[in-house]
Amino acid sequence: MRQIAIYGKGGIGKSTIATNLSVALQELGHTVMQVGCDPKRDSTRNLTGGRLIPTVLETYRDQLRLGRDEYAITLQDIVFKGYGGILCVESGGPEPGIGCAGRGVLTAINILRDLKAFTTYNVDVVVYDVLGDVVCGGFAQPIREGYAREIYLLCSGAFMSIYAANNIAKGIRRLSRKGETGLAGVICNSSGDEQFEREVVGDFAQALGSQFVQFVPRSPVIQSCEVESKTVLEHSPGSSEAGVFRELARRVLEGGRPVIPTPVEELADLEGLYRRRLKGRSTGK
Amino acid sequence: MKTSEAVSATAPRCHDPYLRCALYGAAQVALGVRGCGVLAHSPQGCYQLVNAAFGWQAADYTETFTLCTKLCEEEIVHGGEQMLKRTILEARELHVPLLFVLSSCGPEIVGDDIEAVCEDMQGDVDFKLVPVRCAGFRGDQNDGADMAFDAILKTLVKEDTPKIPGSVCIVAPHANGNPTWYGDLAWVKRTLAELGAAEVLTLTHDTPVADVARIGAAEYSLLLSHDCGQKAVDYLSSHFGVGQLCRDLPFPVGFTNTRRWLTEVAACFGRSHDADRIAAQGETQVIEQCRRKGLEQFFMHRATSAIVADATVGIPLLRFITEDLEMITNVVCLRSCLPRARTLLDAEIQSLGLDCRVIDHADVYQSRQAIGETRPQIVFGSNIERHAVEAFGIPWVFRIVNPESRFRTIDREYFGYTGMLNIIEIIENDWLDRMRSRERRYQARW
Repeated sequence: MRQIAIYGKGGIGKSTIATNLSVALQELGHTVMQVGCDPKRDSTRNLTGGRLIPTVLETYRDQLRLGRDEYAITLQDIVFKGYGGILCVESGGPEPGIGCAGRGVLTAINILRDLKAFTTYNVDVVVYDVLGDVVCGGFAQPIREGYAREIYLLCSGAFMSIYAANNIAKGIRRLSRKGETGLAGVICNSSGDEQFEREVVGDFAQALGSQFVQFVPRSPVIQSCEVESKTVLEHSPGSSEAGVFRELARRVLEGGRPVIPTPVEELADLEGLYRRRLKGRSTGK
Repeated sequence: MKTSEAVSATAPRCHDPYLRCALYGAAQVALGVRGCGVLAHSPQGCYQLVNAAFGWQAADYTETFTLCTKLCEEEIVHGGEQMLKRTILEARELHVPLLFVLSSCGPEIVGDDIEAVCEDMQGDVDFKLVPVRCAGFRGDQNDGADMAFDAILKTLVKEDTPKIPGSVCIVAPHANGNPTWYGDLAWVKRTLAELGAAEVLTLTHDTPVADVARIGAAEYSLLLSHDCGQKAVDYLSSHFGVGQLCRDLPFPVGFTNTRRWLTEVAACFGRSHDADRIAAQGETQVIEQCRRKGLEQFFMHRATSAIVADATVGIPLLRFITEDLEMITNVVCLRSCLPRARTLLDAEIQSLGLDCRVIDHADVYQSRQAIGETRPQIVFGSNIERHAVEAFGIPWVFRIVNPESRFRTIDREYFGYTGMLNIIEIIENDWLDRMRSRERRYQARW
């Protein structure tokens, strides 16, 4: 079973990429489970036609209120079939401003493991869509506990998204020493300036000692699919954008062994990497 | 990072096991209020600290109640405020006048706001709620005691209470390494009464809620710890105009310290002649008792010694064993050391003409290291030091501070003249105890 996690700055498009990747993997004949690791519980929205499915923690809490424990939960309560039979799970989490969402993510994943979700459904690929950044130890738990083996960093050509991805790479470096977890590649979700973004994200991936896996162009097709709560592969299966996600799925499946990343240590060095490409663009080189 | 760097980076912050965390200190103070309830908003492991504090305050289990929200993973993920609210409502069955709500690390990390919960719930219960944010990571037990004092003074003490002339408020009697510190408190209360104090209030030990409310009415405050409580005393001074007695004096352990202390206290009540009388009688009592009982002093004379104790016992003990028992102290390790206590200790060392190594905020490793390097003949400490210095072949470890590993049914004070005899008794017993050891007999005797 392949276990893939997508990390990146908040709002960069992780759920969009994850849902489209899941569908593309399913089209290739794999049984796919997507696990949303975000209290906002909207990771699988594009797979369920806009419906927000009940979360693991919400169901767990309901059982506790009835005086039961996590063993009262069944897989039918928390695993839902979305588009194309993709298995959808949302970890859920506390209300904003209270509790520990990171701990919640781990609790939810542990419940999935205890219920033998992956073997029961004969899952080939699990895609973890993890909230924003590795802001604390809690959100590193999918990596720390060895659930997420292949980690993909998602960024755009904006400097702060690369900065966030570099910070996540530092977290991956720390945790990947403990097991087989590692950085499998960098994906660019374009914010507009395609040529520049291809170059700068390529440089960044190289600096991390990893590979630039896929470039996802900025497209009105993707945006309209989002509004319709559908994946591109469902809404516009013949579009060039759908082809991009199919190519991404193929590369993910072919992907080599994850590596321990070598993040850029100093902010000034990261700025330098970015400036070089900016300067090159202004001089036309 | 090299291993040695990692050790040196963390060593100054390691106070275990001499001092427990802030939750323990706050619980000690809260449990000194008679008939109150103490609710630990914590997982059940932390609740053991409340139980330990219950024992340290010798609280009465028929009057004082302890509760715990027993937080589990569910409350860590979603926050434990609902659980806290439910537990507060359940506490209505206990019919307590007052409920302290103490927060531990877990709920503080996940953002439970116990102050807001207490404010919301106050209208639903007929007892006073006093939240104390004392998560263990916020400091050691002395910091926790200061947090609880702060909460008590700002929520329970009434404003504009008429002053009671000649009254004294004793602060932090429990923050004392003497395993039966109640004896010290009792001696101080007896002595204050003898010197003319009109009324003595205690913050806190078996203190009725009504007395806590009147603390601002005291004319004087008397801090009974060099380890905590100074912030409370300063607040009493600035907010209620309560003057502090014996601010820069070591506690009354030994001839000189006791006479100084008695003289200063008596001067406030215009009873200096009584201080002279008490001192003269006490000194005679100690000398006569030692003469009649045959004090085995030969091994003490000019013996090198180390003190490992809290500041409350350790600082006054230095003068006692130097002047009265004629030892030479070359190491003092204090478990905690506030800046004011350090100033006091330095003044004592200078006044006694000692060349003494001082380690403040010592942990077991540091004190053992210091003792190993200086190799004194005698160590004044606790049962911890008895084991920690085992390998050094030091003949005598006199266990005078907590943990002592001996059961005491009688509260034995260290303060005053009977207190001196109590310390001497411990020294004599531990000296004989060591002589009974076949392995150490030769070393101890010769």
